[in-house]
Amino acid sequence: MEDLKVLYDFVNRVHPLKDEEWNEFAAIWVPVSYKRKAVLTAAGETERHLYFVLEGVQRAFYVGSNHPEATIVFTYPYSFSGVADSFLTQQASKFFLETITASKMLRTTYHQVQQLMDKYHNFERWVRLSASYSLKGALERQVELSSFSAEEKFKTLLTRSPHVLQIIPHKYLASYLGIDPSTFSKLLATVRL
Amino acid sequence: MKKIKTTDLLETLKADSRQIILQTNYLFREDPETLQKQPEEGKWSVAQVIEHLNSYGRYYLPLIEVSVSAPKFPPNEFYKAGWLGDYFTNTMKPKNNGQITNKMQAPKNHRPSRDLNNDVVLKEFLRQEHLLLDLLDRAEKVNLEKNRIPISISRFIKLQLGDTFRFLIAHHQRHFVQVNNTLKGVKQIQSDALRLHGV
Repeated sequence: MEDLKVLYDFVNRVHPLKDEEWNEFAAIWVPVSYKRKAVLTAAGETERHLYFVLEGVQRAFYVGSNHPEATIVFTYPYSFSGVADSFLTQQASKFFLETITASKMLRTTYHQVQQLMDKYHNFERWVRLSASYSLKGALERQVELSSFSAEEKFKTLLTRSPHVLQIIPHKYLASYLGIDPSTFSKLLATVRL
Repeated sequence: MKKIKTTDLLETLKADSRQIILQTNYLFREDPETLQKQPEEGKWSVAQVIEHLNSYGRYYLPLIEVSVSAPKFPPNEFYKAGWLGDYFTNTMKPKNNGQITNKMQAPKNHRPSRDLNNDVVLKEFLRQEHLLLDLLDRAEKVNLEKNRIPISISRFIKLQLGDTFRFLIAHHQRHFVQVNNTLKGVKQIQSDALRLHGV
C-alpha cells in the first residue's frame, strides 16, 4: 500500500525501526475518512486514537467562556494527528480536534500502540523521540506566543510554513497566532517577508 | 435504514454526539441572560431546551447503562434497525437541509420550568453527553438488536438498543436546531431593544 510507504519513510526519519517492529506497526493502521467540520475528539473525552494524515487539514482548539477560542495546532499531510497530550497521558482532553476540510487518514488506537511499546524497547524509543520533538515544537511556540509582537508572529509563521496561507482559512491562522482576524488581514497586506 | 456495519453505526453516533458537545461548549460563552430569554411567549429559552434534553437523559441513560453492563447476547457484525425504531428516529431527526418541518408537543413530565440555573443545566447536559460517549464505546461488546429498552412514554413499547441510541441522538440534533433558532431570535430581540433606546 502506497500510504504505508509514506508512513514508513516518515517513521524512519525520526528513528529507524527494525523490519519486525515495522511490520507489526504497519499492521495496526486502518484507513478512515471524514467530512469537513467533523469533530474527532471532544473536550472532556480521552484521546484514544493516533492518526496519520493523508489528505485534508485538521485543527485542535480550546473553547473557554468569555474569551475567543484558541487554536493550538494544525495538522496536514504528511504528519501525525490526534490530541497528543491526552493520547500520551490517557487523561481527558482539554481540546477539541476537528477536520477543517474533508480528510483521509490512517488511524490506530492507544491500546495497540501501547502493546507494541511493551513488546519492543526500540519502538518505545521511537515514541519517546517523536514526543520529544513535539515538546520542542510546543515550547518554541510558547516563546513566540508570549514574547513576539503580532508582526513578528506573523513573519515567523509565514517564513517557517508559507504554504499554510493557501490551505488554512485565515481566521484560524489568526486564532493560532492569538491575534485579531482584522490585524491578520492588515499584516497580510502590508508586511514584506 | 439499510443494514450497516455495527462499528460504523457506533462511530457515526459518537461523531454526532461530539458535535453536540462542541455546540454545548459554545453555549457557555453566551450571555447568561440570552440563555434565559424566551424568543416568544410560550416558546422555550435555550436553558429550557437543554433541561428538556436532560430530563430524557435521566430516563434513558441509566437503562442503557444496565443494558451495556451485563452483555446477555454477543454483538452482531451488522446492524439492522427495527421498523418502529427507524420510524421514530426518522421523524425526530432534522431534515438533510438542517430544518425541522414537523412540530411535536412535549409530554407533560418533560416540559421544563422557567426557573433554571444555566450553569447547572449545561453542566448536567455535558456530563450526560460524556456518559453517552462512554456507553457508545461499551456498546461495541453487546448485541444492539436483541437488547431492548422501553420508551419513556410506555414501558410496553421497547426499542432495540441501537435504535434507542439513534433516537436519543436524533432528539439532541433536533433540539440543537431549536437552540440555534432560539439564539438567533433572542439576539434579534436584544439588538432591536438597543436600537429603540438609541444606542
